[in-house]
Amino acid sequence: MPELPELNPVIHGKLRLALLSLLVGVEEAEFTWLRSKTGSTDGNLGAQLANLEEAGYVSVEKKFVQRKPQTLYRMTEAGRQALTEYVQALKQLLGGAIGA
Amino acid sequence: MTASNEELELKDRLRLIETMIAEGRRTTISYGWTFVLWGVAYYVAILWAGLGHDYIAWPVTMTAAVVITVVIIARKRCTRPATTTSRAIGSIWYAMGTSLFILLMSFGISGRADQHTSIAIVAAMLATANATSSLILKWKLQFACALVWWALTVYACFGGGKMLTIAFLAALFFCQIVFGIYGMIREARARHQGDNHA
Repeated sequence: MPELPELNPVIHGKLRLALLSLLVGVEEAEFTWLRSKTGSTDGNLGAQLANLEEAGYVSVEKKFVQRKPQTLYRMTEAGRQALTEYVQALKQLLGGAIGA
Repeated sequence: MTASNEELELKDRLRLIETMIAEGRRTTISYGWTFVLWGVAYYVAILWAGLGHDYIAWPVTMTAAVVITVVIIARKRCTRPATTTSRAIGSIWYAMGTSLFILLMSFGISGRADQHTSIAIVAAMLATANATSSLILKWKLQFACALVWWALTVYACFGGGKMLTIAFLAALFFCQIVFGIYGMIREARARHQGDNHA
């Protein structure tokens, strides 16, 4: 029997998974847009994005637009790869669960 | 956690991924207002030029329209993320708009604008941009606008006189102003659905 894969714990958290899934479809996204799409609080969102940044899955750019601070998040190649692997592992696990 | 609960949780994660990817891709760029703005700008320039101020009507109106467009786009860009599709379509219109601006400014200032040639060029350029966007978006209505502009290109080469001006104004009205207002309504609906979803 083939060994079932383990799910990446950094991605497995619901909010972190939602953030990576949102970022995979856009080139870059602002903090406020991510907050509105996930319905998360500033503190929680900031903490989870920091975790993703620490893991190298997202990159951050801070700038001023019309004198207002703006924080932009982009998915990195490592993040894209990790999400792809996570989805594959998830499907494999579900296949195993359905087959069991 | 039982096997069944674990399976439900995994399925829940998979659903979350699908929903969020769809949500990110559903992000719509706001474009309808640009059609309306430029449609109105052309009308103003044509009417102003018709009053005998040819040499300032086009440069002033086109510059004002560019400034308004840049300011509004800069403000809107603050909150909405860009997708690859939105950047591709934005690039087409940016390139076409720049070419059109340079052309109309040069025609306006030099005073060498022949009605047939200028309308034929403007219509062909608008047809190209509309057709490219519609093929990317698979949007038949926008392709219909491209067909109108292509028809006007041909008419400008063969027809003429007052009828050509009327045909140009009619194409501007339907393919810029009416189409733009329709686009704005669609965007408002999409935003409303997005708000309800979030």
